Amino acid sequence: MPELPELNPVIHGKLRLALLSLLSGVEEAEFTWLRSKTGSTDGNLGAQLLKLEEAGYIAVEKKFVQRKPQTLYRMTEAGREALTEYIQALRRLLGGAINA
Amino acid sequence: MTGETEDLELKDRLSLIESMIAEGRRTTESRGWIFVLWGVAYYIAIAWSSMSFAGPIAAAQYLAWPVTMIAASALTVVLLVRKHSKHPPTTVGRAMGAIWISMGISMFILCFSLGMSGKAEQQVIIAVIAAMIGTTNAASSMILRWKAQFACAIVWWAAVVASLFGTVLQSEIAFLVAIFFCQIVFGAYGMICEARERKREASHA
Repeated sequence: MPELPELNPVIHGKLRLALLSLLSGVEEAEFTWLRSKTGSTDGNLGAQLLKLEEAGYIAVEKKFVQRKPQTLYRMTEAGREALTEYIQALRRLLGGAINA
Repeated sequence: MTGETEDLELKDRLSLIESMIAEGRRTTESRGWIFVLWGVAYYIAIAWSSMSFAGPIAAAQYLAWPVTMIAASALTVVLLVRKHSKHPPTTVGRAMGAIWISMGISMFILCFSLGMSGKAEQQVIIAVIAAMIGTTNAASSMILRWKAQFACAIVWWAAVVASLFGTVLQSEIAFLVAIFFCQIVFGAYGMICEARERKREASHA
């Protein structure tokens, strides 16, 4: 019997998974945009983004646009690979149930 | 936790990934209005340049294409900048922008040079313009995997053939028909699809 794959715990959290999936479709995104798409609170969103940053899955850029602070998040290559592996592991785990 | 519950939990994760990726990509699909705007701009330019009555506007027929195209370009840029400020940039969006902006610049240089040099043979101009728009539509449809847009590319390519092998009148009709179907009708169809998608997402939210 083939060994079942383990799911990456950093990505498995619902909000972190949503954030990585969102960032995979865009080049970069503002904190406010991520907040509006996930419906999360500032504190929770900031904490989850920090975990993803510490894991090296996202990169952060802070700058000022028209004197207003702007925080931009971008998915890294490591993040893209991790998400791809996570999806593949998820599909293997689900097996036949995926199309049910 | 039972196996069935775990499966549901994992399926939920997959649905979440799909919906979030779609949410990010949704920002690239709001483009139908550009087709309609340019279709109307082409018709205005054609109508203005072929005016037969006297008057100050009709007298300035040579300005019809440059004025209409520059106005349409300016309007497109203003509206795109306003829309873009609300959404993050996407890779697909940048690819689409690159294709259409390159085509726009090439078209501007070509039409300007043809107009200034006087080496303008109507049927050849229509064929070249139709081929350029057809190529851009085809490339765009392959990136977006949108069959309706590829059908537009085929209509533009048909206009190329009709323009070069038909009479001047047939060439003009082919151009007008291609503009109608591939700009106005296709643009309106795109807008309807976008509106449906927004409605569907609002009901799921």
